[in-house]
Order: sequence, then structure tokens, then C-alpha cells
Amino acid sequence: MLPLLVVIGIVTWLSIGTDEFARPGNLSNLLAQAMPLLIASIGQMFVIVVAGLDLSVGSVISFSTAILALDAPGYLTFPALFMLAALIGATNGIAVTRLNVHPIIATLAMQYVVLGVTRLIRPVSGGTVPEFVIASVQGSFLGVPMPVFWAITVLAIGWKVLHASRFGLHLFAIGGGMASGQTSAARNFGVPETRIIISAYVASSLFAALAGVFLAGRIVSGDPNVGMLFELNSITAVALGGTQLSGGVGSLQGTAIGAFLLALLSNGMNLANVSPFIQTVVKGGLLLAVVSFQRRRKMGL
Amino acid sequence: MTTVLRAAGRIPPAYLVFAALLAFLMWERPQMMNPNVLGIFLRQVAPLGIVVLAQLLVVRVGSIDLSGGGVILLVNYIISANVLPNAPGIAFVAIALGIGTVVGAFNGYMVARRRVSAVIVTLAVSIILVGFVQYLSSGSPPGDVPDYMNDLFDIRFGPVPAPVLFWVILTTCLAAFLNLTVFGRRIEAIGDNSVAAHFAGVPVERTVILTHTLAGLLIGVAALVQTASIAVGSVREGLDLPILSVAATILGGVVFGRGQGGVWGPFFGVLSFALLFVSMTILGVSEPGRLIAQGLIIFAAAVIYGLRTR
Repeated sequence: MLPLLVVIGIVTWLSIGTDEFARPGNLSNLLAQAMPLLIASIGQMFVIVVAGLDLSVGSVISFSTAILALDAPGYLTFPALFMLAALIGATNGIAVTRLNVHPIIATLAMQYVVLGVTRLIRPVSGGTVPEFVIASVQGSFLGVPMPVFWAITVLAIGWKVLHASRFGLHLFAIGGGMASGQTSAARNFGVPETRIIISAYVASSLFAALAGVFLAGRIVSGDPNVGMLFELNSITAVALGGTQLSGGVGSLQGTAIGAFLLALLSNGMNLANVSPFIQTVVKGGLLLAVVSFQRRRKMGL
Repeated sequence: MTTVLRAAGRIPPAYLVFAALLAFLMWERPQMMNPNVLGIFLRQVAPLGIVVLAQLLVVRVGSIDLSGGGVILLVNYIISANVLPNAPGIAFVAIALGIGTVVGAFNGYMVARRRVSAVIVTLAVSIILVGFVQYLSSGSPPGDVPDYMNDLFDIRFGPVPAPVLFWVILTTCLAAFLNLTVFGRRIEAIGDNSVAAHFAGVPVERTVILTHTLAGLLIGVAALVQTASIAVGSVREGLDLPILSVAATILGGVVFGRGQGGVWGPFFGVLSFALLFVSMTILGVSEPGRLIAQGLIIFAAAVIYGLRTR
């Protein structure tokens, strides 16, 4: 609840304090800025609910912009990038479940591999993105800018999967068991734990790829560094929204509010001409503050 | 037969990787196998070697420290940006060790007392420090490092460069410290089972805080060696040391909470990385290829241990 109040507070303060903030131009800009983070955070939330963590989302985002900017027709690159993202997520998930690797180590290693591949196919930013991707991000439909439709769509999908499906229920069941220290609680009740956790990592990668598509539409090119720090920002957004990093507790609306709060913070600091380096410092401090108020049972990673 | 296999399975992967890479280099570039050339290769990984000492300490108590990148950049900035004109060398040493210790103690407090995820805390600390340094230096390299630091770095004793000797001595000291002191035993007890350690009377929180503080101190030392090795101010060099150190530590057989590899397993993990860098240079592998190789090695080492500790 507190983050929502903070969001309302910042919005009022910015709209009174600065002339630029409340203009429609800045508001739609704000939504477009918040979108990639919102999409990536929804994906991140899937794995956090099952007490995991996905540190590879940042490089998956860069990777998907690089794939889209390849010199190939869009009807090939677009499906290919989602298939590759699913493969990345499945590898993460299999490593975590079947091979018993700690999620942080598995996804950190994956971050390196994907970043390396991204730099191989696109060493510096450039290339052109298929026309339909650009149109779907920068265009407008019935006078409403496209990012609004993106927001409605991803929130609807996220809501359906997390809060209105058997899969979502199982996610929370697995995470709740892990948070209370009984790693096989959900499995004992017949939840197909391995399959669900692998699917959570696949979902995270797919959402990251979608965030990459949105970003590619905005910057109209491929960029090997565009996803940098997205893994940390998405974790911050999810944690800000009240989702427990130990698993089992969380809500989609919280994550959405967390993502918008972070985007608002960036927007406000940009309007106030705060150096981008200081913005990183502020976000890092925010992450530190949020997680230090989440009490866990377990010590360590 | 099975006991032999089981014993072979307990050998940290680092030794095998090291042997394989050494064989490869001997076969591919026999002329490089002389002490002077090898000394130069080893000198390059001395900063990494010291970060690994810090890493294996915290990994042994089931934690992790990724804040090293930020500490290294901050120390490098203070030394190279002429913040303290005409300061004596000892002042820089004190500052580096001080920064490392304070950051380590903060990490320890957050991990042990507030029970925050160690990855999140140390990553956040790192990006805060990096952002701060980049703000101070406006994103460009600050300046030059005093000459005497680089001169110290270039000293050799026969074929052995001073930084390598320093690293070996530090590793020996740490091995003795972990084996001979009560504190070392406590670290081992917590790594095996922190709940059992707690009920056996080990002050778990205090030991974890102290372990992180000690690791911070070692990272301060590594920051000095790293600064001496690159000899210029930089806002980029050294950022990947923490994650490489995690890889070398796992490769050396120290998995979260278990210390089968001791101190020398990770030591050989670092040596493997030294040879790996050389091999990749010989094979003409580009920077992206290196990233991929590093990722795959971390992954493979983690999978080997994941399957073994199931």
C-alpha cells in the first residue's frame, strides 16, 4: 500500500512542482518509459514467487533487440527470438530443478553467455528493426498511443496466468512451501513442481524478450547494452510491490505499482536534471532499503 | 573401484581444468613454457586471486560478495584522481583497507542481522559505488596512479613477480588462519549447517558479520594490487572480478556452505583462469567469446557440484 501512496505523492509533487510533468506528451512518454520495466518485472515476478531469481533478463532484452535488428525478414526473426528466449528460460529452469544449481548462479552464468552471443551478432548498436514492430510501439490506434494497449495486454496476461489459473496457484503453492522451509511441501500435495518451476523461468525469459521487442520499437535499432541493469531494476520493482523474495507472497498490482514508481522516479529525476549516474545510485539505495525491510528466515544468498 | 571413482569425484574441477589447459598450452606453444613468461601471466591474475580469497571466505558461510567491483573502482578513483595531492603511500593503503572493511562490515550486517539476500545487498552496494565513482569522474578515466605503485608491481624475485609472491603468501596465511583458529572452525561449522552450529554455541550472526568484514578487508587489498597493475585511473577495469572470483571459487571446489576445496582449490581455479585467458588470446577468441566461455565455465562448475551435492 505504501508504494501506491508514494506514487500518488510523487505525481502530485511533480505536477505542481514542474510545468513539464503533467503535459500529455510527458505522460505518454512516461508510460512508454515504464513499459519495458513493467513487462520485465512481470516476468521476474514469476520466478520470484517460486523463490528463484532471474539475473539473465537484462541480457535477454539486449539479445532480442539484436535478433530483431538482424538483416532478415521480420516474420522470421520475430518468432525465432521468442523460441530462443524460451530455450534460454528452459535451460535456466532445468539447471535449477533437475541439475540442482542455485538460481542466482545459473542465471548469472546465462547472463554472461547471452551477453556474449549478443555482442557477437551485434557488437555496437545499429541495424534496422522490422516496420511492424516500430508501428506497434510508436503508432497509435483510435487516437490512443500504442503503449496503452501494450500495458493493458501484458497486465491482462499476467493477471490471468498468476491470479486466475491453476498454474498461478501452483506457483504460489511452491513458493509458500519454500518460504516456510519445506522444500517439497507442494510436491507432496501432487503439484508437478519441476515442470511448474521450469515454466516460470520460461515465462520470465519470454516476458524479457517481449520487453526487448518494445525497446527495439522505441530505439528503432539493436543495442547490445540496452538491457543493462534491467535485472536489478526489475527485482527492485517486484520487491517494491510487496512480493517477498523468499517466495510465495506477492501480487501483480503490486509489481505494476513498483514498476511505475521506478519509472516515475527516473522521469522525475530526468526532469530535475539529475545525472544518470546519481540515478543509478538512488535506485541501488532504493533496492537496498526495500529488501532490508523484508524479513527472511534464512541467512545467506 | 567405486572408492577410487568416488575419490576422483571429490577432486575440485579446478585441478582437472588446470591440467587440461596446461597440457593444451604445452602442446600448442611449448616456447611459452618458461618461468619468466608464466610469471607475467600469473601476475595479471594476482588481483583476481586476492578477490577469490575474500570470496571463498563468504562462500564458505553460505553467502556471496559481489560488491568488489564498486570497492575497486572507488579505491582506484581516490588514488588516481589526485583527490589527496602529495599523500604518502601509506595513506592510500589505509584508505583502501578502510573502505573495504566498512563495505564488508555493512554487507555482513545486512546479510547476518537483517537477513537480506546476500546477492541483492552486495550487487546494490556495488552499483551504488560504481554510480558514485562515475558521477565523480563524469564517466571518464580520472588520471594517473603514482609511479611507485607500478614500480612495486614490477619487482621480481628471480622469475617470481612480487604480486604473485604476495598473493601466495596471503593464501598461505589464510589457509593457516582457517585451519588453526577457532574462528576458522566456526566458519566451517556454519557452512556445514548453520542451525546446528547455532545450537552448538557458535555465535552465527557475529561470525558471518566478521567473515564479511574480513572479506571486505581482502577486497581492499585486491583493489590496491589491481590499481598498481593497471597503473592508470579507470572506471571500468576490475568490474568483472567479483563474478570471476565466484567462478574460480566454485571451480576450486568450494560450494555454498561446503569447503572441500580448501583454500588451494580456488587458488588453482584462479591459475586455470590465467591459463584460460592465455589460451583464448592464442586462439584469437574475441571479447564476446570470452564472455561466453566464462559463462559456460561457471555453469559447468555449478552443474558438477549441483549434481554431486544433491
